[in-house]
Amino acid sequence: MSHSPSQALRPMSSSALLKFIRAYGQETAVLLSLLVIVVVVSLINPNYLGPANINNMVAGNAYIAVAAIGMTMIILLGHIDVAIGALIGVLASIAGTLAVSGYPVWVCWLVPVLVGVFIEAVVGVLVAYARIPAIVVTLGVVSILKGGLITVTQGVWISNLPPEFLIAQFRLFGIPSPVYFMILLTIAAGVWMRYAPFGRAIYAVGGNVEAARTVGIRPERLTVGVFALHGMFAGIAAVLFGTQLQVIQSTVPNNLELTIITASVIGGVSIIGGRGTVYGSTLAAIFFSAVSSALVFLNISAYWLRAVLGVLILATVLADAMRRRQIH
Amino acid sequence: MKKLLCLTTGLVLMAGTAYAEDVWTGGDGLPTSPLACDGSPATLTASPYNGATVQNAPDLKGKQISIVDVPKLIGIGYFTATAKGVADAAKDLGNVDAKTDGPTKANIDDQITLIDNYVTSGVNGIVFAANDPEAIAPVLKKALSKGIHVVGYDSDSTPDAREWFVNQASFNGVAKALIDNIASQIGEDGAFAIVTSTFTTPVQARWISEMSAYTAKCHPKMKWLETVEAQEDNILSFNQANTLMNKYGDELKGIIGMTTVATPAASEAVKQANMCGKIAVTGLALPNAMKPYINGGCINGVVLWNPSDLGYAATEVLRAAVDGTLKPGDTSVKAGKLGDLKIVDGSVVLLGDPVTFTKENINNFDF
Repeated sequence: MSHSPSQALRPMSSSALLKFIRAYGQETAVLLSLLVIVVVVSLINPNYLGPANINNMVAGNAYIAVAAIGMTMIILLGHIDVAIGALIGVLASIAGTLAVSGYPVWVCWLVPVLVGVFIEAVVGVLVAYARIPAIVVTLGVVSILKGGLITVTQGVWISNLPPEFLIAQFRLFGIPSPVYFMILLTIAAGVWMRYAPFGRAIYAVGGNVEAARTVGIRPERLTVGVFALHGMFAGIAAVLFGTQLQVIQSTVPNNLELTIITASVIGGVSIIGGRGTVYGSTLAAIFFSAVSSALVFLNISAYWLRAVLGVLILATVLADAMRRRQIH
Repeated sequence: MKKLLCLTTGLVLMAGTAYAEDVWTGGDGLPTSPLACDGSPATLTASPYNGATVQNAPDLKGKQISIVDVPKLIGIGYFTATAKGVADAAKDLGNVDAKTDGPTKANIDDQITLIDNYVTSGVNGIVFAANDPEAIAPVLKKALSKGIHVVGYDSDSTPDAREWFVNQASFNGVAKALIDNIASQIGEDGAFAIVTSTFTTPVQARWISEMSAYTAKCHPKMKWLETVEAQEDNILSFNQANTLMNKYGDELKGIIGMTTVATPAASEAVKQANMCGKIAVTGLALPNAMKPYINGGCINGVVLWNPSDLGYAATEVLRAAVDGTLKPGDTSVKAGKLGDLKIVDGSVVLLGDPVTFTKENINNFDF
């Protein structure tokens, strides 16, 4: 834990700055990349920085940022969840089905979150106690969820959603509600992971399981708890995803799970666990929508988005590998 | 970290300079055949029959026949509507027993097994919408070899595996309907943008090419601003439509969605931006997804074909093939209440003009 973020809180001298960059290096890199894009594109076309476009860029990927909070915790523990995309689709369909069946909106919002917690807790039990690698468990879960979703919905889109259900379309001071969810949940999770014992234990277990065990942490319980928490974020993300438009499709965006995992990784989470923050993953999610919007402003094919993200992943993983070599 | 930053800067700069070129419509670059501006029918060039021939078919002219309709899948509104058309045609004809049976998901293996069972159990005719044009061919050829008549609709097989195919709409017909629709709303000098799936999706690229050609021919002053991709992803479509509005501001008067996902998403973007009436949206869309916007008055009309008519036409064509009233070389076929349908490209029956769904008719459709 030689790179604990606590170093960043000391007064800023030049060496403190250096330490800050070492602790939050990747987060800073994403933030600066975001600023570079914003400056360059707005110089080419000032409309890029119009209030409406800022709103769209920050709100557009908010559900991805929320899901990436949970994914960040999972990756910190040294696990992965490739079922998150399918899970979001299923939970959104559950929310929509309840809404069109006339249940009170709070039920429609709460049930998908609880179902998400339940499903991910089961995954957590299989990972922690049955010791099946998370990628295997979640690959199985993908098939169950995707197959189940198409079978149950018969591919029919859910429409006629009641307006009061569409929480992602609510606005406060002109800012869409997903932005508030994203910011508040990111800060809450970030603070919790830094100060709460349970939260700090995530880093301890992700860094070195056996060391964590000797100081009294029970990694199995922690793993189940973190998966359950991840399920909660997936549920919230699903509600935001499902209420952004007026129809809920029986399919989810292609590669949604990859986009979420990419946000976590580009945000600085080490893919083998132990380091990274949720601030980075949220910044990365905003960065994605800024790039996506910039591609339209610059008349570039959206295929470049995939290429840009691919390069960023490689650069990030390489940087992480180099940092690790420095430590050892 | 510095490398990452340099990389990003480099990519942005490279992109900014290298791609500030002409409008890229997203078409496929193949030859186009735009329709006449005033709606006069296209001149059709006859081409030789390229469908298959049924072998050893019993003479069932005017006699009672049993047919099965095998859609891509059952349980979705679109194919429920085609099945209704099949049943309606059977009822109007009076001498056809029709049933619809399809896989519960759009799976080619399930579809092949299903058709094989009907071939074995014995029917006089099959109408189908293929999940895969190549993979479905052998089982259809098997049916033809056993004297069973085969007609496709919606999604074709290879031509040598069926006798006729009923095409829901021609590419240039869809193109004309979409461009005329947007022109009537934004005016002859309006500017519009397109949200498509991807530049490499063959169907969308074909439509876009025809739209581009038709715009140049019939609405030369309209400005085609840009085509953006949004896969078949509704949130991305929504975000892309928003970005287009933010990029072009007041210049943008219309958006055309090229997928049934993009059109409602673009409508939602316009509605949430409070631009109803200022920015027109049209495109290909399923009526159910568009009802909130069209009934709410934000969107005027979207374009698709009538799937019930499609199933109806396929059944009529099958009956005509059984009766021998439709033969290779014919240029039209009688299809009951739909009247005479044209035959193009050797063995393709055209359903006719696409349908525009507006406030007046959209509530009559449920798919």
